[in-house]
Amino acid sequence: MHTRRSRRGLSATLAIMTFTGATVATGSAIATTEPAAGECAGTIRFGAAVSETGRYEREGKDTREGYQLWEEWVNGEYGGIKVGDECYNAEVIYYDDESDADRVANLTERLITEDEVDFLLGPYASDLTMGASAIAEQHGVIMVEGNGASEAIFERGFKNVFGVLTPGGDYTKSALEALAAAGAETVVIAYEDAAFPTSVAEGAERWAEEFGLEVLATESYPEGVTDVSAIMTNFRDLDPDVFIGGGHFNDALLFVRGAEELGFEPDAMIITVGPSNPDFVAELGDSANGVIGPTQWEREMTWEDEYFGTAEEYAARYEEAYGHEPTYQAAESTATALTLQIAIEQAGSIETDAVRQALLDLDVTTFYGPINFDDTGKNAAKPMGFIQIQDGEIRLVGPAEVADAELQYPLGE
Amino acid sequence: MTRLLQATINGVMLGGFYAVVALGFSLVWGVLGVINLAHGELVMLGAYITWVMSRDYGWEPFLAAIVVAPVMFVFGYVLQRVLINRVIDKPHLTSLLVTYGLAIIIGNAVKLKYDATPRSVTTALRGFWPLGDDITVPVTKFWVLVSALVLMTSLWAFLRWTRLGASIRAASQNREAAKIVGIEIGRVYALTFALGAVLAGFAGLLASPIQPIFPLMGPVLTLKSFVIVAMAGLGRIDGVFYGGILLGLVEVYAATYVPEVGTNVGVISSFVLLVAVLVLRPQGLFRGLKAAR
Repeated sequence: MHTRRSRRGLSATLAIMTFTGATVATGSAIATTEPAAGECAGTIRFGAAVSETGRYEREGKDTREGYQLWEEWVNGEYGGIKVGDECYNAEVIYYDDESDADRVANLTERLITEDEVDFLLGPYASDLTMGASAIAEQHGVIMVEGNGASEAIFERGFKNVFGVLTPGGDYTKSALEALAAAGAETVVIAYEDAAFPTSVAEGAERWAEEFGLEVLATESYPEGVTDVSAIMTNFRDLDPDVFIGGGHFNDALLFVRGAEELGFEPDAMIITVGPSNPDFVAELGDSANGVIGPTQWEREMTWEDEYFGTAEEYAARYEEAYGHEPTYQAAESTATALTLQIAIEQAGSIETDAVRQALLDLDVTTFYGPINFDDTGKNAAKPMGFIQIQDGEIRLVGPAEVADAELQYPLGE
Repeated sequence: MTRLLQATINGVMLGGFYAVVALGFSLVWGVLGVINLAHGELVMLGAYITWVMSRDYGWEPFLAAIVVAPVMFVFGYVLQRVLINRVIDKPHLTSLLVTYGLAIIIGNAVKLKYDATPRSVTTALRGFWPLGDDITVPVTKFWVLVSALVLMTSLWAFLRWTRLGASIRAASQNREAAKIVGIEIGRVYALTFALGAVLAGFAGLLASPIQPIFPLMGPVLTLKSFVIVAMAGLGRIDGVFYGGILLGLVEVYAATYVPEVGTNVGVISSFVLLVAVLVLRPQGLFRGLKAAR
């Protein structure tokens, strides 16, 4: 299987190399939006290498649309970025990183050295953000990102990388806090043996302890697992209050089915990837009821700011612009650019050192949630939201200050 | 003790499913001498047909067999006539490349049509039967196991007692002699491949309510089939059954008794098992591993 896979990988690489050659030869930036002609003094250039093709094609599109929405708003309605007494137009230069880690690094280099951008906006996904941010750090250019949740991004001692989203280790924090408050005492954890699920699971262990929950067992499983009956049997015999599991969408389906067929009925099931996706309910029907899932952002959240208004108003604006609902990837991308804009305005300068200090000092609430970076560049302020499937509907149940429905715990009562 | 019993139940149920997955693979390899690397994709097709019947027409998934069977039969028959037949006499590498290419095409075509989201089918036959304290029998998997036994018995009876079955056995034993006694070898091969495709389709049907289905689920299933058939000996239906059960038990026992990383160990152990069998009993666990042509 490995030889087959790598062979497939090789042919894909060849195709990509051919395509890359063509792109480089013509030297075309994929899409640049001309800044609106206004009375502004100048232009601040932002660079973003975001996937337009490859495995992150869908999320890359959401990311790009999130940036574009901000760009159109800031140049149009808002009237340019205010730096001291002057205003500046924003110009975002985009490239297609083809969902490839090497490509994103090359393009980031190109944005810095050839296009001479002032700031960078992050690509989509943790793995690409890892590579792109390393180049940004090397050149001392600030990158604000909203689509890389892996804690590893912030554990390298970098000075120029800031992430607005809640990091992986905090994915289960607010749900565990709420469940502990509702009377849960014991937890079991199953996670896929890969970087991101592992950091989510380690975070879950840490927070469980913090909130006084006893972790009865943790089990890992390989990517592409097709049977979890042994894990579910072992967990069932431990009779925990809370089950935490996850890695990929298919594992989410497997866990719900596995629990059902073995009579494993914990009082709460947190599944880290899947439940906030409407397909989850579509595939599982009634079996999905009661499942809890973390979410970075939902339009029902009651966060708001003076720029885009409430989360709901942001969503409405986005829908009008693109004709479909914003995903959380789109919202966090808009929030990424907005955060950088606020920092520039607070610094009153576009000098890197001043803006970096402004980012470190930043303490604001946006439509996306609170933003307050710690020394490593992580957003330590934003709590993870969590949803629960109730009667086939995805309902936002936490954190309590922004939720619009009650958490059902324990299940089956 | 209850834990061992529960693990055994889980393992046998999983193994029964594995056996059905390997059945068509074994038949095609044994008779045509073709290692069909697109076998897992045929399983996936059966699963998607079931999903469509269940989602769009509200059918009970087990009932979808009456759609899966004719569709997969025709697909298999045409595929063999158009493609596989041309590479049967060529060196092994040629048929490997052709079926590998086929696997990529089928997998990606389904991905284009239905996107990569994993799907699941809900059957009315679900839940569990309690069997004393802390022991349960999963209802869906129980019926999957029953279906597996029915399929294997039917295939065995078909090969044993029907005229076409005898032709298939003859073709697998000695191609030239079969031709001499008047067996239309091309037709037999096409029917065998079609039958293999139907069996793969049934395996997909049985997979759909017990595990997520997605366009690129095929390669893992082809690999499990290969492990089972290599252990079982080619073209042996009883061997495939025991091989499947053995694989299921090994995976589940490892997953149950090794703490923390059990499921990882279970998946790895199936390959350790394969290597061990090939080293210690290269002829297969259950009598002769027939030399593939």
